[in-house]
Amino acid sequence: MTESPRIEGLLRRIRREIRRRRAEYYGLRGAFWGAVVGVAVLLAKHGVGGAAPWAAAALVILGAAAGIAYGAARRVGRADTARVADRAFGLDDRVATTLEWAERADRTRLVDSLVADTVARVEALEVTRVVRRVVPSEARFLAIPVLACVVLAISPPIPMPSGRFPDFLPSGEEEREERASSSMLEETSRPLAKDPLKRPSFEERDFAQRAGGSGATTTGDLSAIFKDTSLASQRPDFNSFMKKGDERLRMLEQVDRLPDLQSDFTNSQYKMVYRKSKALTGGLRPDQISPQKLRELLEEMERLGRKGGANWSGDAMEGMEALEGGQSDRALDAMQKALDKMRAMDEAQRSGKGLRGGRENERGGRGRDRARGDGMGPEDQDFGEGEGLMPGRGRSGSPKGEATQRLRASPYDVGVEGESRRGRKDGYDTNLTGRGGSMASRLQYLGVIGQYRKAMEDAITREQVPRDFHDQIRSYFQALDER
Amino acid sequence: MNRDARVEAFVAAFEALRAEVEKVIVGHHDVITHVLIGMFAGGHVLLEGVPGLGKTLLIKTLSEGLELSFSRIQFTPDLMPADIIGTNIIIEDADGRKHFQFQHGPIFAHILLADEINRATPKTQSALLEGMQEGAVTVGGASRPLPAPFFVLATQNPIEMEGTYPLPEAQLDRFLFKLRVRYPAIEELNAIIDRTTQSRPATVSRVLNGPAVLSFRELIREVPIASHVRDFASAIVMATHPQWEQAPEVARRFVRYGASPRGAQALVLGAKVRALAEGRYNVSVEDIKTLAAPALRHRVILNFEGEAEGVDTDTLIAQVLENTEAATAQSREPFLR
Repeated sequence: MTESPRIEGLLRRIRREIRRRRAEYYGLRGAFWGAVVGVAVLLAKHGVGGAAPWAAAALVILGAAAGIAYGAARRVGRADTARVADRAFGLDDRVATTLEWAERADRTRLVDSLVADTVARVEALEVTRVVRRVVPSEARFLAIPVLACVVLAISPPIPMPSGRFPDFLPSGEEEREERASSSMLEETSRPLAKDPLKRPSFEERDFAQRAGGSGATTTGDLSAIFKDTSLASQRPDFNSFMKKGDERLRMLEQVDRLPDLQSDFTNSQYKMVYRKSKALTGGLRPDQISPQKLRELLEEMERLGRKGGANWSGDAMEGMEALEGGQSDRALDAMQKALDKMRAMDEAQRSGKGLRGGRENERGGRGRDRARGDGMGPEDQDFGEGEGLMPGRGRSGSPKGEATQRLRASPYDVGVEGESRRGRKDGYDTNLTGRGGSMASRLQYLGVIGQYRKAMEDAITREQVPRDFHDQIRSYFQALDER
Repeated sequence: MNRDARVEAFVAAFEALRAEVEKVIVGHHDVITHVLIGMFAGGHVLLEGVPGLGKTLLIKTLSEGLELSFSRIQFTPDLMPADIIGTNIIIEDADGRKHFQFQHGPIFAHILLADEINRATPKTQSALLEGMQEGAVTVGGASRPLPAPFFVLATQNPIEMEGTYPLPEAQLDRFLFKLRVRYPAIEELNAIIDRTTQSRPATVSRVLNGPAVLSFRELIREVPIASHVRDFASAIVMATHPQWEQAPEVARRFVRYGASPRGAQALVLGAKVRALAEGRYNVSVEDIKTLAAPALRHRVILNFEGEAEGVDTDTLIAQVLENTEAATAQSREPFLR
């Protein structure tokens, strides 16, 4: 305790003010959370009963009261109070220092002066409010739960879910309607009689080419069954649902009318057959392959060959015969041969749409013609397109034409003609051996050796020539110079 | 107001000395105040500024205002420690006997002006270390006390770095404050021209003697400081250390070494002088904040990133202050704590 009642009075007043501000602060917070709980109570008014509005109001008041009580009851430290006073009145920490040092045993004369100075300054102070009001963030949204409480209090109670499942059982009239609609559906969805003249593959095509998104129920179109909007508009009825499900299952049993959803009709025939053959033979030895599936595949290849007038029908037939004889190896070989031919034809067709020139088209066309009916060999038939372009194939080994003849001139005819100067020559004959020995060089030796030496000097300084070799190179050129 | 007579005397002496210096020096009010604070706190001051701003003149004028011995050393690269401290020389007495006698160097003065201190070699710079810290020098195995009060005022030029030897950290740490002498404003420049080109230069009278300075130094140490103000000073010094867990991001990023405990001592001691010079009996947070930059700017060593980005230590200390103030209880509402 300081000696001055003035300082203590100042601190008490500030402490009271802090408590009041704290009470306001926490009271607003308490009111907000009380109102939030009140909203929850009013939402459950159906169950709580008529006491709900009163309970909500009580919660708001209780929350505010609890907040006020909490804020007012919290302890306010003396040091904090002193610091608030220092800051509020611009006392430069005099009050806080005085409070701290006035009670110390090692206080000096300066502390006495400090206390006296502080007391004098406090006495001269005008009493004002120093602690500003701080509004909590919850207070900004206090109106929302309070308004919600008022609205919910005056509105009728919100019905709560009973906890029972909804009644899906149809009434007698609805059941009759269901029966009528299901019988109609049976009539419209009855499958057509199977056309004995149509092959299954062609029927597949029929299913693939569906009518556009008209939504009309057409015969044989399964999608129309699944898109049936009349079912969707009806009330859910488990019995009728089961009935429709049975009908769908019966439709699914008619396998020959189902579309092949896995096949891609944008692909070529070769690719489809090739994919099937890969699926059939993938990772299996010939004796492990199902003969039945192999036969089906060969039949399909033979059918495609016949239909398109292609040349692999014979191979497919050969494979089927081998399979009849129990020779799976031969059957597979025949299938592979047929596949190769299919590939060649497919590539030929595709390359026809490519960037080939007119002559190549002509040649390809002739090749195909020959392969079809001119009695060419099997190689020509297989590779009718682009013949001669591959090494070892075709008639010409050089498809770009024969190379031009090399000049038959003498390799030594590159010298420049001229007359040798009379008198002393400062040049040396350099072509001393061979056929050039009889021909005098027309290079002025002494004219170029200097240039060569200069180039040598540049080279040995520019290039990474070991230093020990520099003298050796120079002496070599020196020797040349001396000649 | 009931004011202590000693405090009254101190305030009067402080103001009188400042007035005498300001007779000669135009502007630089803060620099003059901080130089005086450093002197009364018993520390040494390093003044940094480009040539021609009046650093040397300021120190010379201060020495003229004090009844104290003054010596000036112009630091050069060939200056040797013996040139500063002194040396033993052989003296022959009347009997013809020879003996060593210590020849005092210029360091044996109350006020020592070390002009362009960064021009001497580190060996010579280090000759000042013992004197600045211990108030004594050792020559030939004998410790010789320096006169009290002993006050080193050094200057250095921050731009002519060629041929200079930057002060080592240990030497820098011994300076209580490092003050930056800024270029004067145009009004101040006009006043400088008027004052220095007239026929009668201003005369400085001596207003304070050595014993008075020493007694004021004793008084200053009696100034009380509240614990929260002391904590604030400690927090500032700690916040300059990047390793401290509560260090601000700017210190973590740009500082290699933070301020030493000498920095905290300088901060609090300087704050005490400032408080007393203002006629206050206690240290306030404002005193600490005002003296943070002079006391810490030469004690904070930037890392490579800080130097590469040209971080100014004053700006860094300002940010450290801001962060420390926000982190401590100073800025928070008391009733929310």
